[in-house]
Amino acid sequence: MRTGSHGLILYVALYLVFLYAPVLLLPIFAFNDSSIVAFPLQGFTLRWFDLLLETEALHSAARNSIIVAVLTAIISTALGLCAARAAIRYRFAGKRTIMGMIMIPLVLPEIIVGVSLLVVILQSGLELSLWTIILGHVLICTPFCTVILSTAFANLDLSLEEASFDLGETRWSTFRLISLPLVIPGIISSVLIAFTISLDEFIIAFFLAGTEVTLPVYIWSQLRFPARLPSVMALGTLLLLVSLILLVTAEYVRRRGARRSGSEGMGGLF
Amino acid sequence: MNTPIIRIENITKTFGQLTALDRVSADIMQGEFFSLLGPSGCGKTTLLRAIAGFSEPDEGQIWIDDLPMKGVEANRRPTNMVFQSYAIFPHMTVAGNVGFGLRRKRIDKAEQDRMVGEALEMVSLAGFEDRDAKNLSGGQKQRVALARALILRPKVLLLDEPLSALDKKLREQMQSELRNLQRAVGITFVLVTHDQEEALTMSDRIAVMFEGRIVQVSAPSDIYTAPATRQVAEFLGNMNFLPAVVGARTATGVTVDIKGLGKVEFPPEQARSHAPGARVSAGIRPELLTILFDEGWPHQRAAGTIADRAYYGDMTYYDVRLEGAGTMVTISMRNTANRPILPVGAQAHVGWGAGSVVLL
Repeated sequence: MRTGSHGLILYVALYLVFLYAPVLLLPIFAFNDSSIVAFPLQGFTLRWFDLLLETEALHSAARNSIIVAVLTAIISTALGLCAARAAIRYRFAGKRTIMGMIMIPLVLPEIIVGVSLLVVILQSGLELSLWTIILGHVLICTPFCTVILSTAFANLDLSLEEASFDLGETRWSTFRLISLPLVIPGIISSVLIAFTISLDEFIIAFFLAGTEVTLPVYIWSQLRFPARLPSVMALGTLLLLVSLILLVTAEYVRRRGARRSGSEGMGGLF
Repeated sequence: MNTPIIRIENITKTFGQLTALDRVSADIMQGEFFSLLGPSGCGKTTLLRAIAGFSEPDEGQIWIDDLPMKGVEANRRPTNMVFQSYAIFPHMTVAGNVGFGLRRKRIDKAEQDRMVGEALEMVSLAGFEDRDAKNLSGGQKQRVALARALILRPKVLLLDEPLSALDKKLREQMQSELRNLQRAVGITFVLVTHDQEEALTMSDRIAVMFEGRIVQVSAPSDIYTAPATRQVAEFLGNMNFLPAVVGARTATGVTVDIKGLGKVEFPPEQARSHAPGARVSAGIRPELLTILFDEGWPHQRAAGTIADRAYYGDMTYYDVRLEGAGTMVTISMRNTANRPILPVGAQAHVGWGAGSVVLL
């Protein structure tokens, strides 16, 4: 019994080290005063972050990433909203199949999605641009949004809307006073998660980018130059921070919303 | 009391292949407590939702306060509803819920607060204004739902199985509270329930529904003692059914030969619809039969043997096989100090009073 639980603790420790140690190396070397990424550490510096501020190409990549992520978040949440509402509120033929098809990009290898989208886009004579990246990102983000929003709608009792209507409100004011406040945490959570996924997605962005690249693609292109590695580490650290903050915010908002509607601990991604 | 507030005229509602309401007509009177009683799927909730304006009948018309309701949506009808799930808005306070319907009325804030306080007092929740609605107990949510609907002074209050989610004790308490509340406010209540006891204890009149039709509309005691069909009799309480043959008419009435009970005389109005020689069902409630412990029984009697017995503390239920015919009846007896509990196999005489048998 005791040896068994010791073994289990060791397994969990190794698992966590394996999972998070490489990620922790990122900020460590971002502040390391040496252009060679290796131990022992050489002292503390902020010059890699300074270097980021001076690099023009990086700024345009960051701007592109934010444009792509914001539009992806909005579009996939809007699509997810429609899918989730249809899935929860209505019955229609082939519902399971259709919902399944929406979910498939979750498990489809991204490289397949990337290559096939590239073929389709080139064959149909479209130019590669930020819009083509957005198209690809919407495809992979919509399933996540649909899952999160389905939970939000499933927790929303239909008779709440009826009660409001019965008490004299119109359909629109019912939506504004009852439905929206109760699903808004789900919507915010969906926007933030889609934003995060799009922000650090590489494969699809790599295939579908034209002349304008996103941040992950830019990082990848810099890896060829060993001297740039520390500043990539610094950039990675910033991205990690942004992603973490967004994910924690998304989950916090969702849980607080779930508490408000009195359905704690149901659904969600975490 | 004698003018109808709701007139339901021949309404039909179908959902695909299913006929939920089949040419239903009924009048619901001003100020009465009216119940729609029936098993699940009988159409009672569909009828309530048609009155509320949540579903439009395919045919027929509903009149509320002499106005036709076709095309009038739920938010424009003089009805308010208490939902089965209570439908309390979880993101609002108790006062936010109760005062919700006042938003659209042009009433100043102080007056609104006063009305909310009054409504909460009416349902014994005075001082609950600032509580979070989602943290209330089931019984309290129920009261908030009632206050929220009644604050608008609707012509009719619709209640969709409002007590089904409460435990037995609380349910019995709420039954009498609802009844008292209805008398106090004088608003017409229309209650949907599948619980016969609930309908019997609370209603002025009950409409019993089966398969999309109203089978009988009457006062609770009439429905119970004179059910229109065997279905109604079986749905409300227990009833013994014995095969019977209608005999010849005499000056005083009709004699019916009931298997096991023998010849029973009925007044002419009760057997009017049955021709001599017709085979019918004779129904008698278990509590209207009695096992005779002494000889002084002025009414009719039959002999039998106790085949089975179930003891319930305050009551004992006997299954008695009647002599000669071999038919079985269930008899419920209140247990009293001077009355023995009879063993299985004992001989027993069964008695019943005039007028306790119905023909179906």
